[in-house]
Amino acid sequence: MATKSPNRIIRWKETLEQLHFIANGSLSIIVFCVCFAAIVTIIESSFHMKIVIQNDSMVPGFAAMLILRELAVVVTALLLTSRVGAGIAAEVGTMKVTEQIDALKMLGIPPSTYLVIPRLIACIFGTMMLVVVANMACLLSAMVVSNSYLGYPPAIFLTAMRRFVQFQDLILAVVKAAVFGAVIPLISCYFGFRCEAGAEGVGRATTNSVVVGSIAVIVLDFVLSYAFSYLY
Amino acid sequence: MMRGLRGFIQIIDEIGKALLFLSEIIKTLLFRPCRKSLVFEQIWHVTVESFATTAMAGFFVGAIMAVQFTVQMKEFGALGYLGGLATSGTFREVGPLLIAFMLSGKIGAFTSAELGTMRVTEQIDAIRCLGADPMQEIILPRFLGIIVSSFFLLFLGLLMSVFGGMFLGYSLAGVNPEEYVRHIPTIITAPSIATGLVKCFTFAVVLATICTQKGFYAVGGAKGVGKAVVSTAVTTMIAIVVMDWLTSFLGEVFLQMAIGS
Repeated sequence: MATKSPNRIIRWKETLEQLHFIANGSLSIIVFCVCFAAIVTIIESSFHMKIVIQNDSMVPGFAAMLILRELAVVVTALLLTSRVGAGIAAEVGTMKVTEQIDALKMLGIPPSTYLVIPRLIACIFGTMMLVVVANMACLLSAMVVSNSYLGYPPAIFLTAMRRFVQFQDLILAVVKAAVFGAVIPLISCYFGFRCEAGAEGVGRATTNSVVVGSIAVIVLDFVLSYAFSYLY
Repeated sequence: MMRGLRGFIQIIDEIGKALLFLSEIIKTLLFRPCRKSLVFEQIWHVTVESFATTAMAGFFVGAIMAVQFTVQMKEFGALGYLGGLATSGTFREVGPLLIAFMLSGKIGAFTSAELGTMRVTEQIDAIRCLGADPMQEIILPRFLGIIVSSFFLLFLGLLMSVFGGMFLGYSLAGVNPEEYVRHIPTIITAPSIATGLVKCFTFAVVLATICTQKGFYAVGGAKGVGKAVVSTAVTTMIAIVVMDWLTSFLGEVFLQMAIGS
């Protein structure tokens, strides 16, 4: 088929497969971790509020703000760095070591387009979707904990939330997610393509991609938070 | 339904494997301890390897917390409390969690890659052939080294986070460093620091157990090593989040018991 030449820019089928691996495969882990992180946030911020202003009536609002602006996005991105980022680096690194990438070059297919672009697109969209779900799960578990642990029913939680967060917070969280989603596969593919021969090389490429990816996520999160703090 | 059940069984399986491995390590530690120089070598190795990374991550974590608290504090006009609150929040909760994530990427992935390579290139079998015990010669020094050095590194990251917050407080909110530091002792008390340290220690043990276990049991060439590294990173993160919740929860329970309310 002439239209299905391997040189076309976007391979939709591969992209969808990657999206399934990234989004669907990480969904349960991310929801699980984010829920626990939310519970810890509620417990700890009630501890702080009791020290500073002697009561914890502000906890739902503050916790909702912390979750929407920071926690859900960063925890999701760090989990994706270690699951998806390390996975991509190991996959591409193994391809490099077993000379599959050289084979692609021999066939006249540019490996960067063939391997990187589907992962990049899938990871950007996957992270954006995952962050929305993570935010929802995080707020829901925060609501449950503040109901059972602090004694604030969901109605009070939601009212407090409305005073502290706006819809733009969710939009900005999704923007952050898109940035992280673009960075993770780029770093992993870079280290995968530079992988040296042997089992040792693959291990080192995976390690490097996780480390550099996590640092990149934390630093970019700082930069974006700083930039967004002028928008609130 | 069946898939969910299988997933559940797999989780139990993983926990069981890790605990069995931990008990094996402790048995080795009690009855056949390794040479001390090996442990110190590992401590030096791991610390030097991750020193800069951890310091940088800690600095930025502190800075992020300061940015977030500045926005909240400005609404109440209570910027004087910024230092104490941001530091306390970082020490007790966000700091250990995020820095431990960072370390699980760095130390965990590095160690399991190294051990996995040893396993697939049959170096571990070679050690056994020479009549030595791989648990005693390879795993135990790494385990102890990782615990000591990652505990130290986590604490270093927390200290750096104070500087990060101070820097941001000065540049974003205009809070003097002196003012920033002054309210730290009023909000942070000994139990807060103890909570942070207990969390750091727990994360260090979890990290050391999982990465040595995953690396030690890697199978199947270059691909196997890659798979071991990925599963180390994921498992460690999940374990860290769960332990974070557990320590916070238990800390709260003990605090209530200590106050006697």
